[in-house]
Amino acid sequence: MSAIRREVVRRNRWLGEDEFLEVLSIAQLLPGANPPNVAVLVGSRLRGVAGGAIALAAAVLPGFTILMVLAAIALDAHLPATNGALRACAAVAVGLTLANAIEMTLPRRRSVVDLAIIAMVAAFVLVLHASLALTLAVFIPVSLVLTRREAA
Amino acid sequence: MNLARLALVFTILSLLGFGGGNAIIPQMHADAVKKYHWITSAQFTQFYGLGKLSPGPTTSMAALVGYAAAGALGAVVATVAVFVPAGILVYTAGHWWERLRGNPWRERFARAIKPVVLGLVWAGVVTLARGAADAPLTIGLAVVATIVLLWTDWNQSLLVLAAGIIGAFALR
Repeated sequence: MSAIRREVVRRNRWLGEDEFLEVLSIAQLLPGANPPNVAVLVGSRLRGVAGGAIALAAAVLPGFTILMVLAAIALDAHLPATNGALRACAAVAVGLTLANAIEMTLPRRRSVVDLAIIAMVAAFVLVLHASLALTLAVFIPVSLVLTRREAA
Repeated sequence: MNLARLALVFTILSLLGFGGGNAIIPQMHADAVKKYHWITSAQFTQFYGLGKLSPGPTTSMAALVGYAAAGALGAVVATVAVFVPAGILVYTAGHWWERLRGNPWRERFARAIKPVVLGLVWAGVVTLARGAADAPLTIGLAVVATIVLLWTDWNQSLLVLAAGIIGAFALR
């Protein structure tokens, strides 16, 4: 994201610093991954629908292409080494996600309300196998009530 | 048939993907592994790992799920379905959301969504771990990766790449 900010704000001066922060906060709050969301918002501010569409395509296509090449090598080639490589990548990816979850949770460790909501949501999904739609429908209102005295 | 299902599954994930992408992991797993049997649980975590090797968000792994389910066309359909609906939503709702600037409800929603997303991220960690941490070496790799990332600023993709090279030799 710092690379995107550098391009948008500093190199090309498409948006001002405050405007970029506003775009980023919208991108983070609405559904979807953050970089493509930022791309859509920046592109549409500059050139309307076409700008948004082109920026989205540009944000997605390089990663898509690389993944297809990786898929061709790792999934189709059936080399004896790829199975071990894939299992090791998977294990490390679990580590990345765990570290990410720990880092995001630590700042909230003193908030009983936050920890309770996190635990309830995780249990709802893992133990009761609730769908994402149901989980959001139940817990966004619950969280709105429980966090009503605090600001973001 | 698979193409239509792929489009539907990933469109729903796209529109419900609050919190930047990792929150959809449990639902993507439920659909791709348990409901439609496009891939195994182990493959799901492997695809997630491959997604970390390439630039772009976690959601990009939709391409791999689509590829496994219905070939190259499946990859395209899944990728379009996971990115375009959210893009249209952001385009439309972005203007509306901006007008709510300073509105207390906007701040309250921003506050309330965070722990919900975090709960989903933790559920995702467990979901991914079930498909990967299955042997002493893989468990060890996961633990080492966690510790390294908590204590250093090493690049994530390089770490996954290094693990892949180790695994190619040690996990045959």
